[in-house]
Amino acid sequence: MFSFFFYLFGAVLVLASLAVILARNPLYNVLSLVVVIFSLSSLFMLLEAFFVGIILLLVYAGAVLVFFLFVAMCLKLNSETPTTIRKNRIRLLGWCAGAAFLSELIFIIKSFLMTQTMGPSSIRGAIEIIGKILFTEYLLPFELTSLLLLIAVIGIVSLAKGAFKTDGNESGDAKNMAGNR
Amino acid sequence: MIGLGHYLFLSGILFSVGVVGITISRSVLKILLSLELLLAASNLSFVAFSKFNGDYTGQLIVFFVILVAAAEVAIGLAIIVLMYRRLSTIQADDLKDLKW
Repeated sequence: MFSFFFYLFGAVLVLASLAVILARNPLYNVLSLVVVIFSLSSLFMLLEAFFVGIILLLVYAGAVLVFFLFVAMCLKLNSETPTTIRKNRIRLLGWCAGAAFLSELIFIIKSFLMTQTMGPSSIRGAIEIIGKILFTEYLLPFELTSLLLLIAVIGIVSLAKGAFKTDGNESGDAKNMAGNR
Repeated sequence: MIGLGHYLFLSGILFSVGVVGITISRSVLKILLSLELLLAASNLSFVAFSKFNGDYTGQLIVFFVILVAAAEVAIGLAIIVLMYRRLSTIQADDLKDLKW
């Protein structure tokens, strides 16, 4: 039963990740990433990392991907047009690089597993134990993360402010149009 | 029986798909999505190692990776919106000039 669910969610994960990079419509790319995150969260549950799995769902599927979706819908993006021959060559090169990378990774993982005989341990990543470690051993990194998020917020606000300042023409036009009305 | 190797292979496949996505896609939004795939692949490896080593550190690192990724995505999408305002496109090929 366990292995059945592993293969099910693994297959969904790989197929959805291929859809992320291959679908032509930007909205489908983002929605496939939602599927990737859901199946990844299911795999975390199979590994008994409950807290991280739920956080992944809440933060990624709940907040980050909605943000992606919001931007993709806001920007009036066109679907990709079929590529020219030169672009196709670049795509082929990308696939070759990816295949070489994957074969190298498989080689490394195989040689790593030769030396290792690790069985699954009995740890369960419930919120109780994770929270205890987070607030004792990893307290400083945890607090620094809040600083990082603050810096990110300030960065976004200053970027958006710059956009409104340099877009003087656009806002001026908008004001003129409003005046004409 | 599903061992550590299965999870590592799955993570490797996911990472390679992300690398291919970064190389072949021309839209900046898709490149950012492929970066998310890379982070997801590394998260899977971390949790698998955490389970099979009996150490909670891997799960805590995944927690921090998620937080950093959230900040990165927010900044990246702000830059994409800025790029769309200036160039009215988000194709990476159109970013040819350092100054415009």
